[in-house]
Order: sequence, then C-alpha cells, then structure tokens
Amino acid sequence: MSVAGGDTTGRQEHDFVFSCRSVSLKLPYQGGNRWILQDISLDIRRGELLTIVGPSGTGKTSLIRVLGGLTSCTSGSVRINGEEIAGPPEGVIIVFQDYSHALLQWRTVFLNVALGIEGRIAASELRIRVLDALRLVGLEKNADDYPWQLSGGMQQRVQIARALAVRPAVLLMDEPFAALDAMTKASLQDELLRVKQETGCSIVFITHDIEEAVYLGDRIAVINGAPGRIERTFDVTLPKPRDQILTRQLTEFLKFRYAVHQAIGGIIR
Amino acid sequence: MTARRFSGRLWWRPNIAGLLTMAACGLAWELTIQAGIIDFQYLPAPSAIIQGARELVASGELAAATVHTLESVFLGWAIAVAAGVSLGLLLGFSPLLRRYSLATIEVLRPMPAIAFVPVALLLFGFSIQTELMVIVLPSLWPVLINTMGGVMGVHARLGEVGRTFRLSRAAMLYKVFLPAATPTILVGMRISLTLAVVLAVLAEMVGNPEGLGYGVVSQQQALRPDLMFVYVVVIGLLGLALNALLIGVVSVSFPAAAAELKGYRP
Repeated sequence: MSVAGGDTTGRQEHDFVFSCRSVSLKLPYQGGNRWILQDISLDIRRGELLTIVGPSGTGKTSLIRVLGGLTSCTSGSVRINGEEIAGPPEGVIIVFQDYSHALLQWRTVFLNVALGIEGRIAASELRIRVLDALRLVGLEKNADDYPWQLSGGMQQRVQIARALAVRPAVLLMDEPFAALDAMTKASLQDELLRVKQETGCSIVFITHDIEEAVYLGDRIAVINGAPGRIERTFDVTLPKPRDQILTRQLTEFLKFRYAVHQAIGGIIR
Repeated sequence: MTARRFSGRLWWRPNIAGLLTMAACGLAWELTIQAGIIDFQYLPAPSAIIQGARELVASGELAAATVHTLESVFLGWAIAVAAGVSLGLLLGFSPLLRRYSLATIEVLRPMPAIAFVPVALLLFGFSIQTELMVIVLPSLWPVLINTMGGVMGVHARLGEVGRTFRLSRAAMLYKVFLPAATPTILVGMRISLTLAVVLAVLAEMVGNPEGLGYGVVSQQQALRPDLMFVYVVVIGLLGLALNALLIGVVSVSFPAAAAELKGYRP
C-alpha cells in the first residue's frame, strides 16, 4: 500500500488542470478579517477524481469557490491549464450541496439542464445534449417534471446533469451527497464513478465523510485546521471498478480509512 | 403537494361557498327592508337596486361609465407596473441607489392620492390625464417595493449558479433574477391593481366628471340612492373581476408563481 505520494515530482505542468501555489484566503468576519485558507499548494491531475476530506470549518467550501472562480484568493496563485484564473473559468462547473436553492424552480428539468448551453448551440444540438446528460444520470423520463416534483436525490441528479450538459473539463462538487440518505448516496456515488468513466472529466469532490472520500477517490487530500491547510495527500491504490460491498470489505480500504482518520487527527464529524 | 395542481386549468372554477355568502348577505339585506326592520328612505333594497341597474343598462350609461373607468384603471396600472418594475429592479440591484433614494421614496409613499387632485386639475383640467396622475403614483409603490424586495430576496446560490455557467449580465437578469422575483412582483402588481380601481373611482368623484366614480356622485346629488348603489356595487364587482382575471392570467402563464399566490384566490 502506498500511502505517500501526491507530490508533483516527475510530472509536467500540462498533466494538471489546476495548480494551486501557496494559496491563502482571508474573508471579512465580524467587522475584521479571518484567515480561511493558509498556504495551500495542490495540483489536480487531468482526468483524476480528487477527494478533499476534512472536518467542518476547515475551508473546504472556500477552496472549491476559489477553484471555481467565485472567490479570489488573497495571496498565492491558482492556475488552470497554466493560466491564472480570473472569475469562473470556462469548462469548470460547480455542483452545489443545496440542490433546492441551486435549481431554477420555475423551469422544468429539461430547461434546467439547458441553462448552461441554451443560446450557445443550435436548438437541435441542444436537445441531444440535454437528453444525453439526463440519460447519464438516469432521468430521461423526467425531462418535463418540475424540480419540486422530484425527490432530493433526483434533484441532485438534475444539478449534475446540468453540469454535464456543458461537457465540462472539471466538475467541482461541494459535498453534493451530504444532504441525502445513505442508500441514495451509495447509488449516486456509483453513478458518479460511471459518469466519470464515460465523460473522462476531472472531478474535485469535497466531503466530510472519510469512507466516501476513500471509496470515490483516485487521490485524497486531507484538509485540516482553521485556517485550513492541506495536511497530506494519498494515492488511492484500490482496484477499479469500485463496488459498494466488495471494495469496502478490502483490508486496503480499511487501511486508507484509518490513515485518513489519523491525518485528520482522530476527529470525525 | 399534488403534482400539477397549479398548472391545471381550474382557476376559473367558481368559489361556490364564497358566492353563497354574498347571496346570503343580499338576501338578509332584502328581508330586513321588506320586513320593515330598517326603515330609512335613502337605503334601497337589493330588489330596488336591481331595478335601477336595468334602467342604467337600458340607457347605456352604465356601460359607458364602466368602459371609461376600466380604461383609466388599465392605463394607470400599466404605467405604474412598467415604472415600478423598472425602478424596483434598479433599486434592487444597486445598494448605492437605495442609499440615495429610499428616504425620498418614504416621504412620497404616504402622500394621500387625493392631495394630487387640485394639482392635476390645474395642470390637465377635466381629462383622463387628471385621473392618471391620481392613479399612477400611489399604485407605483406596491410594485416598486415588491420588485425591489423580490430581487434582493433571490437566494445568493442562484446568482452563483449563473456565474458558474458564465451567464452574461442580461441573461442573469432575465433567466435568473427576474423569474426568481416574479412571485413577489406579482403580489405587488395585484395590490396595485385593486388600488388603481379605488384611485380611478376617487379621481372621478372629485376630479374628472366621468366614469363609475362620477356616477356615484351624480346619482347622490340627484337623490337617487337606488341608482347610486348600482354604481357602488358595480365598482365592487369590477374589483373582484379584475382580480380573478389577473389570477387567471398568472396561473396560465406562470404556473410556478401561481403556486405562491394560491392562498389569495377569491
């Protein structure tokens, strides 16, 4: 088992979609300022699924907002494909945790998924792209429903389909399954792995669930502390495809779970 | 919540219980006068009012007055909605504009519409402009305040969704903020419509001698309470009909927004 790794030795810059160098973030807080992230250096490799795991209050969401261009970092540099980011980069889509606020409740599922591509491609092409994205998440039969008619898991699928419709190079997912029940969560985890297989996009997946981080990740970055720092990274050497029962029974899975747990400092939230 | 309750076509279904209450009130009124419990020569029975209505319908006066009042209401309301939504959007998006103008708005807002009648008469004489001047300003506020509040109340996440998909500023407005604020804007439009009816009648009573409002005043001066009450009742029914019409149009064109207005169905 290789628990080390994650450093950039021997890799060229074009192997990375994102390169963060000494990123720090300070946000206004109660009349003053508060450091949220400190000295984050992290690369995201092309085509990998990187899970970022850590307790609440360690700046996980802030980090994804910086990567997604919604917040600019106070110091340091964030590059995408070698270019410094300024605002939301093209082909990088954030999937938010609170799907009920993130979906346009007045639009049908079809029109929600069309949001990022309508007016940018021909109508016939749009229809194909939207239906393809819905098929990827198994919602092709719900195209004409409104979000408020769907269960939580289905609404989160709509949000994922909406992101996939733009054929993103990178998906930034902010605890997307945290509000879902255990069964829905498990099936969405497997769906996400299948979608990644089919589309080949890079995924940054934030979670506070250690098992989820190990199960999904090609690589795990552990973030901890306030302000948050990257504690360490792991290359996950578990076999693929992953399986909810078999993978979770592997001794290696348990070892990774233990190692991540140790890196966080024994606190599970 | 049933799936398509609000997108269905049931908005025109009459409210039987509500109509029964109205009929019962009318019947009670009729009976108290017939039985001589109330004996007051200037309070006609509903039967006398219906008789009067026949008279006014036959002469064409009622139709002409209704058309005139409707015209003022729609024109005044349309101007108030157009101005209210535009100004409300500006104020909703700009904290700077809010800081500079909200104090002025709060001074203008409580001004009684009737205070504008002498000014309007001096400027426009007996004309529909006089009526519009009285209607527009007070009916503007509910639309403006609700549009501003609606825009400010749009969840921050929706703006971030727009940004992550790199929507242009225009697309952000008409694809995200305007539809998200629509239920609130519709509440303002609805309050404003009823207000416009009240103000049109008011303007006709003390300003421009035309329409339903002038009908009330002129029949009062002619000592014909039966005919005066016809106008009063028609004004009430007009308010009811316009409200129902607005809700009907909304349920068909904005099913999601209609869901939020459902509690107000007359």
